Amino acid sequence: MSLSPAELARYSRHLALREIGVAGQEKLKAAKVLVVGAGGLGSPSILYLAAAGVGTIGIVDFDKVDISNLQRQVLFDTASVTRPKADAAREKLLALNPDIKVVAHAVELRAANVREIFSQYDLVLDGTDRFATRYLTNDACVLLGKPLVSAAIHRFEGQALTYVPLRGPCYRCLFPEPPTEGLVPNCAEAGVLGVLPGVLGTIQATEAIKLITGVGELLIGRLLTYDALAMNFNEFKFSRRDDCAVCGIHPSISEPQDAPELCSVDNLKDIQRWSARELHAQLHKAEISLIDVREPHEFQAGNLTGSINIPVAKLAQRLGGFSRTRTHVFVCRSGARSLTACAIAAQSGVASIAHLEGGLLAWASEVDSSFIVALP
Amino acid sequence: MSCIVRIPSPLRSYTNGAASVAAEGATVNGVLENLEQRYAGVRFRMLDEQDRIRQHIRLFVNSRAVVDLNEPVRSGDTVHLICALSGG
Repeated sequence: MSLSPAELARYSRHLALREIGVAGQEKLKAAKVLVVGAGGLGSPSILYLAAAGVGTIGIVDFDKVDISNLQRQVLFDTASVTRPKADAAREKLLALNPDIKVVAHAVELRAANVREIFSQYDLVLDGTDRFATRYLTNDACVLLGKPLVSAAIHRFEGQALTYVPLRGPCYRCLFPEPPTEGLVPNCAEAGVLGVLPGVLGTIQATEAIKLITGVGELLIGRLLTYDALAMNFNEFKFSRRDDCAVCGIHPSISEPQDAPELCSVDNLKDIQRWSARELHAQLHKAEISLIDVREPHEFQAGNLTGSINIPVAKLAQRLGGFSRTRTHVFVCRSGARSLTACAIAAQSGVASIAHLEGGLLAWASEVDSSFIVALP
Repeated sequence: MSCIVRIPSPLRSYTNGAASVAAEGATVNGVLENLEQRYAGVRFRMLDEQDRIRQHIRLFVNSRAVVDLNEPVRSGDTVHLICALSGG
């Protein structure tokens, strides 16, 4: 795939690098890269891939741009708010580099469409904000033989790794299963330093360019961690697991599958979300069952009158005894575990479910300042 | 034996926000027990009811991956607690 005179000028700083040169730039032009998630990680990676001249960039994202995204998602501007991300991204990228092809996949990545989408690309970058999509992406890459550059962030911390088929371990070799307790909140709940995904997304783009051009050493079998507060990087080596469920000797996963997303929108859409004041107003009603899903030591330090303690990890086995006529209100310290509890209850068919938004911290702040909220 | 334990971001609510804490223990298990004494509940976030390392957690002593909780920890070592992150 040869370069035009305009492209030779545009990529002159790449061409000046002996490690890339014309041959490397032509590889970039011929490459087809898919980015899953046009969020904090996807924004810088997509921008740099487009600027670098990756010939075809696919973007999977079914979300719309929200004003709260702009603090870190530098692919979008204020005028993009409410627009579908995949479409807004496509427009921005073509303005940056009209020589490339940008394909917007404005759909939710699921087991049913992952093969069809991934098969159109040479390489996948994972920038999703959901564990279910993260594991689906890894499994599909292993099953389809596609390289994967994965990254994730939380508050001030990030991590990245690269999977190349037959050359090293996959994401599941490092973390075989996602957390089941739902105790790892997403960016919306936990907050995130805006510039953090800029660092990790740029590392993903760097790995992608190295993979395509065949230069340098990749993050194969190496987990790179970054702590923005300490301003340090660490590297941890890990190996392929013989018992890996997808790339091991006897894999149990032979087809991409949708992992249950406990806190998915579908699971939670019928749940009543109560503020601390609303809960206070409802407490005297006889048809309310108040369930505190914190650990016993937290419960003992201070609890709401009439509440019973069922730690979230033990909730599933206790649901059989729940009344069908009462509203079950789940509470925890900050609202993360109780949301998981709501999802577990909803999946099990509990009819009427309510959630204390902001947890007992909100209760202490808005209703009863003498209430003691223990640390988890 | 005194070592440094690096706390992953999702577990820093247990350590009052501290990114690293000093801990005592001759083995990885001993270090986790010591942490639990001071930060109640943190051990259960890393180990399940059967005392197995949770599937979304990895432990390293310096750069060595921990397979067995009885692995030794020496004075001056750094124990890294690594947690799968989901944010994007």
